[in-house]
Amino acid sequence: MNKKILFLIALFCMAPWLGAQTPIEKLEPLLLKMQGITAFTANVKLRVDIPFITMPEKEAQVRFAKGASMEVTSSDFALLPKRGLDLTFQELFEHPYLVVDRGEETVGGTPLSVVSVVPETDAAKFSIATLYWNPESRQIKRATISTKKDGTYDIAMRYANAAAPLPFEVIVSFEMERIRLPLTFMGKDASVDRKKMREQKIKKGKIVLLFEYLSVSH
Amino acid sequence: MRALLAVEWFKLWRQRRTYYALGALLAIEAMVMGSAYLQGAEIIDLALAGLRDTFYFEGNLLNGNLVTYFLLNSLWFHVPLILIIIVSGLLTTEYKDNTIQTVFMQPVGRWQYILSKYVVGIGFTLLIVTSLAISSFLFAYLLFGKGDLIVYLNGLVFYEQESAFWRLVGAFVAGAGITVFYSVVSLTLAVWVRESVTTWILSLLFLILANVLMKVDFNSELVHQLFFPKLNDTWQYFFISDIPYPRIAANLAVLAVYSIAAMGLGVYRFQKKELG
Repeated sequence: MNKKILFLIALFCMAPWLGAQTPIEKLEPLLLKMQGITAFTANVKLRVDIPFITMPEKEAQVRFAKGASMEVTSSDFALLPKRGLDLTFQELFEHPYLVVDRGEETVGGTPLSVVSVVPETDAAKFSIATLYWNPESRQIKRATISTKKDGTYDIAMRYANAAAPLPFEVIVSFEMERIRLPLTFMGKDASVDRKKMREQKIKKGKIVLLFEYLSVSH
Repeated sequence: MRALLAVEWFKLWRQRRTYYALGALLAIEAMVMGSAYLQGAEIIDLALAGLRDTFYFEGNLLNGNLVTYFLLNSLWFHVPLILIIIVSGLLTTEYKDNTIQTVFMQPVGRWQYILSKYVVGIGFTLLIVTSLAISSFLFAYLLFGKGDLIVYLNGLVFYEQESAFWRLVGAFVAGAGITVFYSVVSLTLAVWVRESVTTWILSLLFLILANVLMKVDFNSELVHQLFFPKLNDTWQYFFISDIPYPRIAANLAVLAVYSIAAMGLGVYRFQKKELG
């Protein structure tokens, strides 16, 4: 009798785990939605917000096809971020990975599920990525990705509505080295604050991408 | 006066040295363009080195606008240098060939005579700067194409094609004001010195000193606004994001006052001086 009672108590205590989803299973709905996007084309406006750089808003055209790198073209000069253009985050999931559940966090009044993706092989270009996503709309709202070569960058995404598969605004924040001063290419040198430039070794930069989708296949 | 101007203009174009000077300016233009093209990629690489880890670059920055900007950086020493020789030569050759005495056998007023030389000198200077501007744009756009201009003023600043073009045009206009000043000064020195080589040496010394003093920080805004060497780089103001037009206008007005003063001094001296 005692054994039966002990078994029942043990079963009762384990119940939450028996039926619980693993972190990977929790992430499954998001992955299904992201991987469902097979191609898109869009016009993108780029706004650069980097200290010591003044650049007018630029326009470019982007073309994405699943399994390939994003193609970006522009008729005039544009600075395109090396990171943050992978809107379907396919790069994070192309090699074997582990998912660590970080619980929930409320951002702007919306409860978001937080998970960390850790690659299991050296082939991946990142070392850890933390995603903040809305389980209801299955949209990634924020991401912090630490790369092996290009430092850490943050991505914030805004969507037109809960059903939108892709964001209309992406803000990529990153750290960058200070710009070196090419003395042979000086303009009016009296106005350059060299001391200030020398002091600021690592600078934070931001680039805002505004997408206007022309076609999305999913 | 009109006849005097026509004669002076005619004499200017009869001089062989005028054509040598034009050839020299074209050669300088070609050399600067060539070296700008060769060094340009390296300079852009250096300027954008800090961004290369974070960004891809789409588009061409080594274009006609950048090459013209490089050209502008070196023009405001070389152009006055050559113009000094031609403009001062308008008077020194008259002394050397003794034609000045022949001129005054005619019923010609002294002040009208020297003033016509100043006017022709200024006209020639403006013509040269305009020709240089046109040829720079023409060759630079033809050989290197159009595109955004990148300059380094308190950081990297990018200007789109249209904005870049008008800023470069503005820079040529401001540069013309500075060049006119040096031409006028060289003619005034010619009134004093009369002899070609000494006039050239003094004019060059003046030009070099002005360029050296331009780099000196006098720690006084008033000096920076009124002392002529500090006005040499007025053309660079066109590459500040919000172009400071009042400051540019003030600088050019001060330069105009200096030019008129130098011209007045030359006319006065020529009026009083013996011809022989």
